[in-house]
Amino acid sequence: MGSSKIARTLAVSTVVLSVALAGCSTKASTSNSGGAPAAGGVKTDVGVTDKDITLGNLTDLSGVFKTLGLGITQGTQMWAEDVNAKGGICGRQIKITSQDHGYSAEKAVPLYAQSKGSVLGYVQLLGSPILAALKKPLTDDKVAVVPSSWASTNLDVPEVVMVGTTYDVEMVDGLSYLLSKGKIKEGDTLGHIYVDSEYGKNGLKGSMSFADAHKMKIVQSAITSTDSDLTSAITQLKGAGVKAILLTTTPAQTASAVGQAAAQGLDVPVFGNNPTFTPQLLQTPAKAALTSGNFITVAGIQPFSSDAPVVKDIATRYKAKYKDTPTFGPLVGYTFGQTWGAILKTACDAGDLTRQGILDARAKTTVDTGGLAPSVLDFTNLGAPSTRAVWLLKPAEVEGGLSLVQPEPYTSDEAKAYKTPFQK
Amino acid sequence: MSETTTPLTPEAGAPSAELPAAPQPPGSGATAAAPRGGRGALVRWALWLLLAVVMFLAPVYLPGQYLTVGTWVMTGAVGAMGLTMLVGQAGQLSLAHSFFLLVGGVSYAVLSGDGSDGFIGLHLPTFVALVLAVAITALVGAAFAPVSGRLSGIYLGVASLSLVFLGWYLARSLPSLAGTTSSGRYVEDLHLFGFYFGEKSPSLYVLDVPIGQNERLWWLFATLTAIAYAVARGAVRGRIGRAWRAVRDNEAAATVMGVSVVRQKAIAFAVSSSYAGLAGVMVVWWYDGLLKPDEAVDSGTYSTSVAIAYLAMVVIGGVGSLGGAILGSAIVFGMPLILPLLTQGDGSGINAVSGTDFSPVVITNLIYGALIVLIIVFEPGGFAGLGRKLTARLRRG
Repeated sequence: MGSSKIARTLAVSTVVLSVALAGCSTKASTSNSGGAPAAGGVKTDVGVTDKDITLGNLTDLSGVFKTLGLGITQGTQMWAEDVNAKGGICGRQIKITSQDHGYSAEKAVPLYAQSKGSVLGYVQLLGSPILAALKKPLTDDKVAVVPSSWASTNLDVPEVVMVGTTYDVEMVDGLSYLLSKGKIKEGDTLGHIYVDSEYGKNGLKGSMSFADAHKMKIVQSAITSTDSDLTSAITQLKGAGVKAILLTTTPAQTASAVGQAAAQGLDVPVFGNNPTFTPQLLQTPAKAALTSGNFITVAGIQPFSSDAPVVKDIATRYKAKYKDTPTFGPLVGYTFGQTWGAILKTACDAGDLTRQGILDARAKTTVDTGGLAPSVLDFTNLGAPSTRAVWLLKPAEVEGGLSLVQPEPYTSDEAKAYKTPFQK
Repeated sequence: MSETTTPLTPEAGAPSAELPAAPQPPGSGATAAAPRGGRGALVRWALWLLLAVVMFLAPVYLPGQYLTVGTWVMTGAVGAMGLTMLVGQAGQLSLAHSFFLLVGGVSYAVLSGDGSDGFIGLHLPTFVALVLAVAITALVGAAFAPVSGRLSGIYLGVASLSLVFLGWYLARSLPSLAGTTSSGRYVEDLHLFGFYFGEKSPSLYVLDVPIGQNERLWWLFATLTAIAYAVARGAVRGRIGRAWRAVRDNEAAATVMGVSVVRQKAIAFAVSSSYAGLAGVMVVWWYDGLLKPDEAVDSGTYSTSVAIAYLAMVVIGGVGSLGGAILGSAIVFGMPLILPLLTQGDGSGINAVSGTDFSPVVITNLIYGALIVLIIVFEPGGFAGLGRKLTARLRRG
């Protein structure tokens, strides 16, 4: 009967109501306080108040990298507590807000949009697909971020603050170590199994460069990150007569490759990039092959079992505070925090805690991690890795599953000479 | 077949829940599209107007992250409308929808890219690139005709699945077209008559709210979704839709009636993939212009899991229903994004979460899975079936 009237009233009232309501939208542009000098003469814009500095932590607590993500998150949290106990930075306490994207770029995009308005920068961003999806927004917003992925191809923008060395440099260092120990020789043929992604291709860049310099030949075997059986790849390498196997793979693939090499009687040294190993592999049948002495890997951070005082201190407190199995994650997270701490101090001294101020400070900062990283981390050379030194590691039955091959960090001459893609 | 003209515009249309095109009873044939009395039409007009106003004003109220979720839902909705026509109307199972997304995205990138950084780009105007990308995807879909014409049901589904693997392989082997798996390639957002939809530092204000990229993309995506809906509705209610349903219900009978089964199947695939192509371009825009091939075939933006997600949208929404497809997208694409936003709002407390606990994302995945099971068990007609029951009850009561 009166439905047309109802409809018309409905429509008109909606329009009127929404226009009226729009006046009170919280998104309405208010006076922008950006760049205004606050108390103490320090310029601030996003994520910094007189009392707090808020950093974001966009990580994976439920997806394939949840163990690593959780460990790093706990490490950054420990760092923030340590700093705050000593009175904070620039007279401000550090607050870390964490978000879980479950290793999905689609989930990470809205989560970034949600947190970017309240954080100065990100103390951790886990996952290369997520970094790829957010790299342009991060650059547009001038947000500094410490990624948990180490491909030198991402060093093209100042916003990416990579703590530790890159996959290609790791590979050069590892090969140089094998050569110096006589485990491989000039002119040898080497086999490189790599995941056909940002991670694997970056590792391959390193092995190709080293092989060029030493007249070696690399037999490439590209796989995908979900391949679980590397039998055919190992058979192919065996057929090519390789003198060493290089891995830029996932941990499960490492177990398969090392196990298959042993089963096929391919008794050669195996070198794997930092992400190829997790302590959990020592609970698999691949344990015997992994601990036989053939397999070595590297890291940009001390192993959990190290005797270094700084590691012992953190490890003791970690075990008292958290119930999770120790991995290298907490130590990595702690270093991420130390890096932010050093950059914040430089920015504070310059009187500029704005996002641009952080990027300016980054280019002037060197970080002393107290022995966690193999060297002082140098961020002054944009486009180059912050260090070229690594810790050489081998699997062992200790907490964290890895022990040092030698107590000193290792830097090869080839790594010092190696030019990363965006190095100036 | 008699030539009947049916309105292509949605003015005689009903809101989503009322959508006809019930696919279940075989032989139901075409649905009446004749406008019912002036009064009903007015109500529907008013509701459309209301929806338009709400969609126009939403960016003024919603914070950026919810706009991002909304545009992702609209992207899924466009793709799902294409698939629901193919599956529900033409009766063809396809598991290749994510492949056509990729084709659309790559086409747009190649056509609109400026050819710098070693990528192939023709540097066409972005709008022309959009139209051509949709057309190219339609052609690729039609090119699948030799297969789709011979197979049906689960056989066709499995055959079409191979396209996802093919696309995944090609995208990785042709980085000059699709970008590298590492960093992908960037292309421009749409700009039309000097209006940039990717504007970062806005000078446009609506009701004192700065209209930046998120707000502009919302309007753009809403417009594209509306156009896609209107066209699909016209197709479903028109001669094409009747032919599709004839093929779906009985191929022999359809042939007797003079419908070319092979041709109609090819058309259905072409139309469906053109929708996926449009959705693929929207995906690139949503990622701030980034096109990046997946690193694995079963996870990522153009993976088998996305192909299955689209099928889930269609099933949840009610096979064959356009409005249902939109609702299905809101659940399959929207919910996994919105729940983490709501549950970890200020990020506090999450540090206490242990890696093995029920985190917000785990709970999201559980709810999503449970909802699909519940819907299929209790309402095989999906949300469209629920909607039909509800309206029928309202009319009676």
